[in-house]
Amino acid sequence: LSQAIRFASGGTELDDQDIAPILETLKGRLMGKNVAEEIASKLCESIRTSLVGKKRAALSSINGIVEGAVEDALVRILTPKKQTDVLREAMRAKSDGRVYSIVFIGVNGVGKSTNLAKVAHWLMGHGLKVMLCACDTFRSGAVEQLRTHATRLGIPLFERGYEKDPSSVAREGLKHAAATGIDVVLVDTAGRMQDNEPLMRALAKLVHSNDPDLVLFVGEMLVGNDAVDQLTKFHQKLIDLCPVAKASKPRSVDAICLTKYDTVDDKVGAALSMVYVSGAPIVFVGTGQSYQDLRKLSVKNFVDQLMR
Amino acid sequence: MVLTELGARLSGALVKMSKSSKVDQDVVDACLKEICTALLQADVNVRLVKQLQTNVKMSLNLEDLQSGFNAQRILQKSVFQELTRLMDGGKPWVPKKGKQSVVMFVGLQGNGKTTTCTKYAYHYKRKGFKVAMVCADTFRAGAFDQLKQNATKARVPFFGSHTETDPVKIAEEGVERFRTEKVDIIIVDTSGRHKQESALFEEMRNISEVVQPNNVIYVMDGAMGQAAHDQALAFRDTVDVGSIIVTKMDGHAKGGGALSAVAATRSPVCFIGTGEHMDEFEPFEAESFVSRLLGLGDFKGLMNK
Ligand SMILES: Nc1nc2c(ncn2[C@@H]2O[C@H](COP(=O)(O)OP(=O)(O)OP(=O)(O)O)[C@@H](O)[C@H]2O)c(=O)[nH]1
Ligand SMILES: Nc1nc2c(ncn2[C@@H]2O[C@H](COP(=O)(O)OP(=O)(O)OP(=O)(O)O)[C@@H](O)[C@H]2O)c(=O)[nH]1
Ligand SMILES: [Mg+2]
Ligand SMILES: [Mg+2]
Repeated sequence: LSQAIRFASGGTELDDQDIAPILETLKGRLMGKNVAEEIASKLCESIRTSLVGKKRAALSSINGIVEGAVEDALVRILTPKKQTDVLREAMRAKSDGRVYSIVFIGVNGVGKSTNLAKVAHWLMGHGLKVMLCACDTFRSGAVEQLRTHATRLGIPLFERGYEKDPSSVAREGLKHAAATGIDVVLVDTAGRMQDNEPLMRALAKLVHSNDPDLVLFVGEMLVGNDAVDQLTKFHQKLIDLCPVAKASKPRSVDAICLTKYDTVDDKVGAALSMVYVSGAPIVFVGTGQSYQDLRKLSVKNFVDQLMR
Repeated sequence: MVLTELGARLSGALVKMSKSSKVDQDVVDACLKEICTALLQADVNVRLVKQLQTNVKMSLNLEDLQSGFNAQRILQKSVFQELTRLMDGGKPWVPKKGKQSVVMFVGLQGNGKTTTCTKYAYHYKRKGFKVAMVCADTFRAGAFDQLKQNATKARVPFFGSHTETDPVKIAEEGVERFRTEKVDIIIVDTSGRHKQESALFEEMRNISEVVQPNNVIYVMDGAMGQAAHDQALAFRDTVDVGSIIVTKMDGHAKGGGALSAVAATRSPVCFIGTGEHMDEFEPFEAESFVSRLLGLGDFKGLMNK
């Protein structure tokens, strides 16, 4: 920060005029790190209200106080309120004798199919029997893409070709898995724009009529301000377009898989935007194009990169 | 594209300005700040926005801004001109009838290269060109099937392999084959890559060396945020990027990242992608793009008054 660091004796109150310019600079820095404008604004506004009028300790710098408050807020936002342990849940389902399922959803080209294959590889490494289910019945090559992964990983693929109703492919796949002793089914879906009503309706149907254990939203680190809109609408439309029969128990985004972490250097702001709007935990981070390139979120790393 | 809310925001600020009888620096600053916020929300690079703010501020002469309405027009015009200037990457390369050309597609993972190759092929095929596609992506699972199925739908000849693992070899063979078959536009699709992995950039350079493209098209996702500039620059530094295609403009994103790509590559946008189907493809128009970026459909009309 370029502002002169100001020191004061203990007991004085922080006022708006002191804080505002520092927060303005911080906001610019967060946006430069690819945090959506709306989120950067909201974050800075809440820091402002929380600090104005606060007494400050002797010999503390205003900059230090503000930066510390921002850092704390970032850690708080990125630390999930509800822990989601995919492996443990899958293991528990197995010991209960039922199939565990994850549906991968998101906009076009973010890495759903690739990261689905990585998750398969990871679960296999823990001794689970995994099956892939090809419910992108629209995009050219989508079925072959999944078949290639299934072959490489040496696991079964359930597919019914193209132009089939994805929702019924998923249903048949889950039934097939239960009958053949599979532990986990990973359901691939076609990419879609969050404003595309017919496609969002089809997704709501697939999710609600199959009731997977986890609805996993896949979002890429490259996305800018659209991150906010994507999460908001995938969440809301799944609920709004829920078939009447399931209206008492609508499903929505349960967790997030962040991809392409390796392509943005320290511009990691999209992660913050996504978690801020959805409150959903980040359960996987994609860090490359190989099966091993799947990580858990390190909140500390993210916050360091954002504050640097 | 959903730009109405942005339009509403902007006109809010401008209306405030037009109502004030005396325009002072504070009014101008507030208005300019609101425009800049809108641009930041549209994913325009943070540094570009700052620069734009300074440039516009400098170009304004407070004395000239007697009435609010006048000030509003001058301010709008100034922002519009500045953005249009930023989007101007020169004249786009176009294929010529009777002259054989190779067009190579490059870009980040999942940004729409393979889909856009087909759109491009289909566009020129309908204009009477003889086109063909080469799949030089041996990395992504199912890449060749994707291109094959697309090409079959568009009835465009294609070349690729399920077994060959060297994309340079395929690119060379494919281009050679279609050269002898007197194809007008030979389109070469490549794998997605990113600047952080130098081996992938080296591969792109090698492909470019063997196919000797007449034009390299950088395909970028219209939803891309602040990483847009550095990635585009790195591609430009490795291969001779000549044009840009911005995809997924049927989504909610405004496409402000494209400004960075134009600035970094000093190349023009030639088309935009507006859907997953092969005919969802439009020639690029800088002024309407900028109007949409600002959420002002009638900006041009307003300026010409
Ligand atoms: N660098 C990098 N590339 C990735 C990562 N995850 C996926 N990709 C690449 O992104 C591209 C698109 O991935 P896909 O898995 O096909 O994306 P998708 O979301 O299934 O795409 P659609 O089904 O077409 O919507 C591929 O080239 C992947 O190799 C990642 O973490 N890092
Ligand atoms: N809605 C929409 N989707 C698009 C558009 N262009 C491409 N897509 C989709 O984006 C996804 C990725 O497109 P691809 O053509 O596979 O991207 P790519 O750059 O070839 O990907 P890699 O080869 O893995 O790097 C697919 O689901 C496409 O259908 C567009 O203009 N609008
Ligand atoms: Mg996919
Ligand atoms: Mg491709």
